[in-house]
Amino acid sequence: MSRHPISCILPPYMLDQIAQNGTPEQRQKAEVTATLTAQFRASRLEMAARPSAVPRAPGVAMRQRAVYTANFGSSLPGQLVRAEGAPPSGDAAVDEAYDGSGATYDLYWDVYQRNSIDGSGMRLDSTVHYQQGYDNAFWNGQQMVYGDGDEDLPPAQRLFNRFTISIDVIGHELTHGVTQFTGNLIYSNQPGALNESFSDVFGTLVKQRALGQSVDQADWLIGAGLFTANVQGVALRSMKEPGTAYNDPVLGKDPQPGHMSGYVNTTSDNGGVHINSGIPNHAFYLTAMEIGGFAWEKAGRIWYVTLRDRIRSTTNFQQAADLTYTVAGELFGVNSLEQMAVKHGWAGVGITVGSSSDGDTPQGCLQSVLKVFGIR
Amino acid sequence: MIIIFERTGGFAGITQRAVIDTASLSPEERQALEALLEQAGFFDLPPRLAREGEGVDRFQYLVTIEHGDRKHTVVLSEEAMPESLQPLMRRLSLLARRFRSP
Ligand SMILES: [Zn+2]
Repeated sequence: MSRHPISCILPPYMLDQIAQNGTPEQRQKAEVTATLTAQFRASRLEMAARPSAVPRAPGVAMRQRAVYTANFGSSLPGQLVRAEGAPPSGDAAVDEAYDGSGATYDLYWDVYQRNSIDGSGMRLDSTVHYQQGYDNAFWNGQQMVYGDGDEDLPPAQRLFNRFTISIDVIGHELTHGVTQFTGNLIYSNQPGALNESFSDVFGTLVKQRALGQSVDQADWLIGAGLFTANVQGVALRSMKEPGTAYNDPVLGKDPQPGHMSGYVNTTSDNGGVHINSGIPNHAFYLTAMEIGGFAWEKAGRIWYVTLRDRIRSTTNFQQAADLTYTVAGELFGVNSLEQMAVKHGWAGVGITVGSSSDGDTPQGCLQSVLKVFGIR
Repeated sequence: MIIIFERTGGFAGITQRAVIDTASLSPEERQALEALLEQAGFFDLPPRLAREGEGVDRFQYLVTIEHGDRKHTVVLSEEAMPESLQPLMRRLSLLARRFRSP
């Protein structure tokens, strides 16, 4: 079996097309490529997968949650407090993690027909009460983890509340899992900022859907309620107006740009992944506002299908813009209102769709494959 | 003792930078901090405690401490940080709120 120099991942439907309509030689090559692609996808999934006791049943809704407590220590996952179906525990952090991961599961299943993080019903594990004075939440590749903020300080000195208090934080962390099993964006520079942005996008969509809010009713904030009253700020990030979420004498000012002209070149924070995410965040906001209605229905679908099928580990802002534009055309029609909204959304942050010139676009990918098949 | 502290990353993405001169701390605070430094074995830590590609939304630390004629700098990623260092990093992070560099 010969191997072809294809470093990009082809959408399976393209290979199907070639396999059905090509010459016998092309068909044979397409089948080989499809096998290699499937193997590559499987190995990516294997890398991302964890041992799990939950049986896999793609296509059947299987909402399985487990919430643990670290008891203010560092061991993960810690002690099980609430399993799927168990009644509320009375511990606010535990119950918020349970309800928030449920609302996130429901967005992905009800709206996008995705069965959990891995698409195969993976159990959603959360640990709360992580460490003491832990002002953070994270996804460790296998589960969500939440600190209680400044619980170790007297109330008058606290800046952060517990991190489960914002439902979009929960949607954000779970979406890091979805990204790991799909586009698998590397966590640095522009791909890393896109990774962050997809998490903010679906985080806020979980919140908007849970509250039944249309685009003009939503606050478009990430982490509203996380700051105590001692902080001059409303949230950690604003997708509507990046850079305006907080301005506080102790914490400083929200550093997010909402336009390419403000792109921050830095080596800190993996190349500013939590800073430059403001740019694609705002592009999504502009797109959703132009489409109107409920953001998860159309704008969210465009972003979800792009993440699931098109995003690759090294995709940059320009490529992401081009991919969302292409997907919007496929889902809603070329030159549809939705596709124009995507174009305008990216234009609003200084990115012109279709202006990519580095040859690393989906078109470049397709052409390299056609060349292998001797079609061009 | 002079401590130069930087913490970046985390879900909030809020960067903390501070220069802490322990001469400006109360004797109790100074003692507590010295005990934490001792417990962490700070001056014996390797200059780099980092692991690539594990987890997202984690903190990264860059800490330099000058004490007498000793000076030591450590780059730390949270994933690679021993649990024994967590109380020290929390203490420094709280001091960084007070002595924040503009
Ligand atoms: Zn994140």
